Amino acid sequence: MAYSHFGYGQRFAVQLGRNWVALFLVILVVLFSFTGRGFFSPKTLNNILLTSSPALLLAAGETFVIITGGIDLSVGFVRGLISVISAIIMRDLYARGYSPSFCIPLGIVVGLALGLLPGLINGVLVARFRVPPFIATLGMYGVANGFALRFSKGFPITFLPPEVGQIGNGFFAYFLPGRGLSFFARHADIVEGEMRNLIGIVPYAIVVVAVLLLIFAFILSRTQFGQHVYAIGGNIDAARRAGIPVERDLIRVYMISSFFAALSGVMSTLIFSIGTHTQFSASLELFAIAAVVIGGASLMGGKGSIGGTTLGVLVLALLEIGFLMSGILPFYRYIAVGTILIFAVVIDQTFPEIIYE
Amino acid sequence: MRRVDMVLSEKGRERLYLLGKSWIFLFLLGEAVIFSFIGTGFFSAKNFQNILVASTTILLLAAGETFVIITGGIDLSVGFVMGLFCVISAKIIVSLQALGFSPVVSLVVSIAGTLLLGLLPGLLNGVLVAKLRVPPFIATFGMYGIAYGLSEILCNNVPIAGLPSLVGFIGNGYLLYYLPGRGFTWFAPPEGLGRGEVRALLALFPNVFLFAILVVLIFAFILSRTQFGQHVYAIGGNIDAARRAGIPVERDLIRVYMISSFFAALSGVMYTLRFVTGRADAGSARMLDSVVAVVIGGASLYGGTGNMIGSIIGTLVIGVLETGMVNLGLPTYNKYVYVGVILVLAVLIDQFFPEMVRKGE
Repeated sequence: MAYSHFGYGQRFAVQLGRNWVALFLVILVVLFSFTGRGFFSPKTLNNILLTSSPALLLAAGETFVIITGGIDLSVGFVRGLISVISAIIMRDLYARGYSPSFCIPLGIVVGLALGLLPGLINGVLVARFRVPPFIATLGMYGVANGFALRFSKGFPITFLPPEVGQIGNGFFAYFLPGRGLSFFARHADIVEGEMRNLIGIVPYAIVVVAVLLLIFAFILSRTQFGQHVYAIGGNIDAARRAGIPVERDLIRVYMISSFFAALSGVMSTLIFSIGTHTQFSASLELFAIAAVVIGGASLMGGKGSIGGTTLGVLVLALLEIGFLMSGILPFYRYIAVGTILIFAVVIDQTFPEIIYE
Repeated sequence: MRRVDMVLSEKGRERLYLLGKSWIFLFLLGEAVIFSFIGTGFFSAKNFQNILVASTTILLLAAGETFVIITGGIDLSVGFVMGLFCVISAKIIVSLQALGFSPVVSLVVSIAGTLLLGLLPGLLNGVLVAKLRVPPFIATFGMYGIAYGLSEILCNNVPIAGLPSLVGFIGNGYLLYYLPGRGFTWFAPPEGLGRGEVRALLALFPNVFLFAILVVLIFAFILSRTQFGQHVYAIGGNIDAARRAGIPVERDLIRVYMISSFFAALSGVMYTLRFVTGRADAGSARMLDSVVAVVIGGASLYGGTGNMIGSIIGTLVIGVLETGMVNLGLPTYNKYVYVGVILVLAVLIDQFFPEMVRKGE
């Protein structure tokens, strides 16, 4: 592209077309800080990050799949299935008298390990049997939903060890005005009235999510495997001719996606202290896909990044919390998400092209 | 690996090829036979009609989805568009009645108005897909959010109630009633029945299903016998070639998405008639079922293949499974697993079976 021949105005316009999501995010923050009471507070920030962390995990996995030109519809129910399984393991072992320090890690590890299985099956169906990704993962969507309902009998899994919530909702540091910082645990002998002033700093959940996102952003952008992912999405036949092990890499991509879904499920068990499986999955997979697309990926494959996806998820989370705090009915959020999604694609498709022309 | 052509004669290969083509029909028959033997009261005119009525939603959504999928697109919005128009149709009836119109007038105006308005989401989807080149998945997912938000706002998150009893009379009525000894009556059972007579009464042809299948068959004709129908296949086969051949691709694509949302609106009206209420989530669970029905019926998501009869059979495969499992007292969660497995199997068989056989030719 003759990008360097452009004047400043044109360059600015191109940058704007590429980074409009970031700009939009800033506008949303400014807008909601006027309309929402107490929007600018550490608590709200924590809330936004906490609400978005499960969605962020689903979207991160979905990013890999979408870059290869595929789609993974099963993530919402795989998340529910693993949430239920990990909760059942923790509950049953705890009820038999095992210590929480044994049954919680076991629930997490088994959940994550089982979480690779749906991805393996999806990947094999897509890569080896050439089943369209939409169909293969829609099949898994039904299977995961059915098993989650079978295991949970349609009810949330409760009676987990009490330490579960402490891990899921714990912070690295707590700040109590007048008594200073305390690390890993709340200040000892805290009084009822002081609880309200307690400020948690850096939740565990967000740290785990951030570290994983950084690792997988690195894998996607800096490793050979990451390059293969883009190459497969750009042109799968060319990738095959270039000697890229397309089948193996595709299977890995779907396993990454379902691993992230499983992690999201385990995390929701830890945060809410129950194993939850929502019927119809609350359309989690569709919102994850929306976030990836708003973040600049194309469903045709070959485009997208973890950074963009993160922005996309934050836009959706900000809309949710901002609408809530501004007293707007939650249903308007669906309209907003739908409209933004369509706009995102229209802008991505037409805006840079208009300038290049 | 031994190839099929080495094992089978010419005639056998032909039969096997036919089997690969029409296995889903045999599967449906098998399902029906199995449930008839192990279920209680499965094999009865009443139960078969129940299956048809219960399948009406999937049938209508799948009929619209068939057009879209044949063009190589997908319409994710049908479930919530159905909910939106279920709410709208109920709301029109309730408000017209409040203004003092008779139930008949408000019902007719509501149905006509809803079906007309029902073209709008499709128009928007179609323009986005055809003119602005937004991928169908995105355009219709955007509409999914918009339709759901709108419908919840319209009904304030509470199902709309207070509809006249005429609505349910039509929605749950049958075309024909037969009472042994007293003959046939149209539309309503004969008056003044005794308790024993009510049990002996045989109701035939549920209104809702009858109307739905009539519309579906009209569109089956449009798809298979008109020029527009041929264009739909051509667009799905190769959109660039279709454009070069002078097919008005944009206009036809917009029409296809309008057909899909028309069917969704019709399905919403039928829901209002049957359940005498307007619910925003009327069709939310049925969107993916309708895609599954179309794919089981032999359509490819890559476009160019599929037909209405296949979609009807696909719908019945799901409907018989659902009703049969309820009949046996099995928990419904198994259904999700079975439908998922059948879906993947359908695609696997479609991809490998005919090819394997054809290789021998």
